[in-house]
Amino acid sequence: MESLWLVPAFPLAGFLILFLSEGRLPDRVVAGIGAGSVGLAALVALLVGQAFVESGQTAYSQVLWTWMAVGDFAPAITLRLDALSLVMIGVITGVGFLIHVYATGYMWKDEQEPKGYSRFFAYMNLFVFAMLMLVLGDDLLVLFLGWEGVGLCSYLLIGFYHKDSANGLAARKAFVVTRVGDTALALGLFLLFWELGTLQVQAALDQVAAGALDQGTITLICLLLLGGAVGKSAQLPLQTWLPDAMAGPTPVSALIHAATMVTAGVYLIARMQGLYLASADAQHAVAVVGLLTLLVSAFTALAQRDIKRILAYSTMSQIGYMFMALGVGAWSAAIFHLMTHAFFKALLFLSAGSVILALHHEQDIFRMGGLRKKLPVPFFCMAIGSGALVALPFVTAGFFSKDAILLTAFETSGWLYWGGGVLAAGVTALYTTRMMVITFFGETKTEPHDTTHAKFARVNMWLPLLVLCALSIGGGWLGIGVLDDLLGPLRAVSHASPQALATMIVPLLGIVLGVLVFSGRVDASRFVESRLGDWLRRFFHSGWGFDGLYDRVIVRPFVALAQANQRDAVDFVYKVVVGLTRAFHYMAALTQTGRLRWYAANMAIGLIALLLIAAGWL
Amino acid sequence: MILTVIALLLAAGGLAWAAERVGGAAAPRWVSLVAFVLGLAWVAGEYLGGADAGLYAAQTLPWIPRFGINVILELDGLSLLMVALTMFLGVVAVVSSWDEIENGHGFFQFNILWVMAGVVGVFTAMDLFLFFFFWEVMLIPMYFLIAIWGHENKGYASMKFFLFTQVSGLLMLLAILALVFFAHAASAEISFAYADLKRLAGDIPSDVRAWLMLGFFIAFATKLPAVPLHTWLPDAHTQAPTAGSVILAGILLKTGAYGIIRFAVPLFPEASQDFAWWGMVLGAASVLYGGVMAFSQSDFKRLVAYSSIAHMGFILLGVYAFNVQGMQGAVMTMIAHGFSTAALFMMAGALQHRLHTREMADMGGLWTRAPRMGVLTMFFVVASVGMPGLGNFVGEFLALLGAFRANVWLAVAATFGIVVAAVYGLYLLQRSFQGAPMPSAEAMTDFGFREMSVMALMALGLVWLGVYPQPVLDLSAATIATLGVLP
Repeated sequence: MESLWLVPAFPLAGFLILFLSEGRLPDRVVAGIGAGSVGLAALVALLVGQAFVESGQTAYSQVLWTWMAVGDFAPAITLRLDALSLVMIGVITGVGFLIHVYATGYMWKDEQEPKGYSRFFAYMNLFVFAMLMLVLGDDLLVLFLGWEGVGLCSYLLIGFYHKDSANGLAARKAFVVTRVGDTALALGLFLLFWELGTLQVQAALDQVAAGALDQGTITLICLLLLGGAVGKSAQLPLQTWLPDAMAGPTPVSALIHAATMVTAGVYLIARMQGLYLASADAQHAVAVVGLLTLLVSAFTALAQRDIKRILAYSTMSQIGYMFMALGVGAWSAAIFHLMTHAFFKALLFLSAGSVILALHHEQDIFRMGGLRKKLPVPFFCMAIGSGALVALPFVTAGFFSKDAILLTAFETSGWLYWGGGVLAAGVTALYTTRMMVITFFGETKTEPHDTTHAKFARVNMWLPLLVLCALSIGGGWLGIGVLDDLLGPLRAVSHASPQALATMIVPLLGIVLGVLVFSGRVDASRFVESRLGDWLRRFFHSGWGFDGLYDRVIVRPFVALAQANQRDAVDFVYKVVVGLTRAFHYMAALTQTGRLRWYAANMAIGLIALLLIAAGWL
Repeated sequence: MILTVIALLLAAGGLAWAAERVGGAAAPRWVSLVAFVLGLAWVAGEYLGGADAGLYAAQTLPWIPRFGINVILELDGLSLLMVALTMFLGVVAVVSSWDEIENGHGFFQFNILWVMAGVVGVFTAMDLFLFFFFWEVMLIPMYFLIAIWGHENKGYASMKFFLFTQVSGLLMLLAILALVFFAHAASAEISFAYADLKRLAGDIPSDVRAWLMLGFFIAFATKLPAVPLHTWLPDAHTQAPTAGSVILAGILLKTGAYGIIRFAVPLFPEASQDFAWWGMVLGAASVLYGGVMAFSQSDFKRLVAYSSIAHMGFILLGVYAFNVQGMQGAVMTMIAHGFSTAALFMMAGALQHRLHTREMADMGGLWTRAPRMGVLTMFFVVASVGMPGLGNFVGEFLALLGAFRANVWLAVAATFGIVVAAVYGLYLLQRSFQGAPMPSAEAMTDFGFREMSVMALMALGLVWLGVYPQPVLDLSAATIATLGVLP
């Protein structure tokens, strides 16, 4: 376990080598370093995890050095391994490695950025390093280091194709919107430190358990941390950046904007579980955020045309389930769903990536169609991923985790959360079916590349997909077998109750409805073309109008304010002083005419004036 | 030894001027470079030599004993940090303007060396008369740097810089003299020595102290600068030659911050406590106003200039929080900002040298032709938006942490400044280096070894400050403890 530090150190080393070589390494070497460093990290994580489980400890800490010591404030760079961080580093390095391997093929001789291969893997490795620091940090300031670090890498990778300024805009939006959340998180850290005198997670939670804080303060801290979490995890009301973030290359969307970074908020709340347990109000807020997000984004996904945006909204919705799970007290179910979601959403994104690559970067599903026979491997993988997303009972990983969340919600919090979750599950089935039917069935609208020789037919691009397929199917058993021991039991779930049956059946109904409508067996055009249908489609397509709202309420006023004052109003004060000085100067200069008569008259007037003043004064 | 170093810098100025006649255009900059490298070596030597009673070097000579004026120079932890930064940025200034200047090579280097000699004096003088003397010494050569080698609107900018500094300097002079007179009246002792005045200032009537404190504060806040005394800065920075901007942003602004930490607060601790709320308000206002102003600019250099105002706001917040975290945050911000902003001004200078414009509308897509410059701009922008792991984060986080304890709402307002920082920082990067390549990009040549070496040093410096800032924090902690203003 002493080699725990090697887990983040390998990706960091990979980043440094790639960064400092300034793109002079041959692409094959870059691929080896880029994917290899994450692979080594995964290997070490596996060995360390095995040693940890065998040792039977509940936590293992490795102090590296004191970051800064200022008065009582002395955060240390410390790595902490426990059940939660072990699951997280497993997902990050494991899924991360598969995505890196896939990316060695996807980014190979890239059309838009042929010279960016090394830069791409440098950013990706830096991301993995930052994400590992986020989950391994024992001190909240180290977590914050990782937190900001992943945000930076997300920014860099969304804007990877930097020649198109739309990508730059999307990247900036992602960074700035999440930073609003980060500000709340930073304030939460300030408050926590001044109340408890430490930012070390366990020490802080122990003090909270001992009753060191009053109820109001706990709730406030929890809400501030939640502010950070909703920013990073793209939950309401800070969710607007994630769909635009799809501007990044598809492996980035898979790794950062589906499998790992966007779940950081879930991790943060799970990590601070002790704090949230002490505040029912805060926990309630988490559940409400989750419920609203999962509903809003599921309906939004229903109206998207871009395959990556569908998946993005689906990610928001699935993370909404995790938030709801945290809010209703299903802590281990939330982490379980985080893991299975990482498997099947990575699979969905990567197989969508293969489709996009085969169609010359076409992302609109309405220009696809009929690809089932021409792209059998992506179709097969995407079908499995979709099955896990809609939670097909018993055969997919997504079923076990979603089931655990919904049934716990029913037990602890009643009909509302359960009903919302089940409704969204039905909508999930509907939009997933829509995506599959329109993309892979019907008539062909865009011809794929010659599929036998294209780069996506190479082993480094299909093997990761198959591994992820296996995980999307079998990952559920992994959860029940391993996570149960590590994180505490996923609630005992009986599948005989009526609500359990409903939970299982609703997605199936969604699929049936989807097949009927989108394959054209049932004519829905009258509804779609009605005024209500059209309005709904546009409303959902725009993501419930959040972007327009923020644009009008925040962005435009800010820009207008800045532009109105471009010349700095404060300077006006000094300009007036200068103007007055000049004016007096010119007035004085005007009297210097060189005419003797004028001077004499002036003297006379001045003398009379002085005499008058003197007389009046006396 | 300190006086010798200052004298040697001054002498090197003369030598550089003379060297142009003998060795041509290249000779003065070599003289300058060697002088600053030797200076840096000297600071390193004093640091490694260790401190004696908190002082790494000290020197006292009589000057005008009749009025209690003496040459008292001391190098304690804080001074050592600031002098080291001065020498380092001297090297950066010389390298960044290596082939930018077209005439008056000797006089140019002369002015750089004389500014820096004045700055070293300011950071080490422990006699208020001597301090004021050095304060004025650094003003005149800086005026020349802007007025002679500046850009299109140099006359206006240099005069504005001169007047703001001069008027506020006059206020400080009045405050110094009044302080000595009142101290004399209260104790019959006449002395300009810092240690004596710190002891005697407590005997002055408290309403007088408040006014004296304000005199010092306004002088330093103008130099810092804090809103609303800041308007000289965007003009001076934009018009100054690259070396001038590097020195101005990297070092001269810090003399204001240093003055507040060393003089305004410790000489009048109670008056400063009463003033603390105002100090923090000005800090938070600078953070937000500077940030919004930076975002509204279309001129690369002017944007960076306004961002300096925002960063200096964190210093005011930290100092007037009156706790150790805030104070240490202020000191860290001084040093980290010295690196990050000097680098960004150097970048602005390099862009103007290549493209003959500072307008971001005429840039765009420069990354393709100059990837090294792109990566470095990205690095320093990321540093200045406060990315953890780099020096600016440590400074700003500590300053805000301290401020949060003193006044929650002002800290909340200033924390939103980091969102604004992300807005203007990324805007700068995007407008200049990303997007579709403009025709102007053809004129780009990337950085060579000379520029890369100083840039790499600054980048490494920021990483070191961000990852292991303890040596710096320890140095300033020793000084902060002796100021005697924190609980």
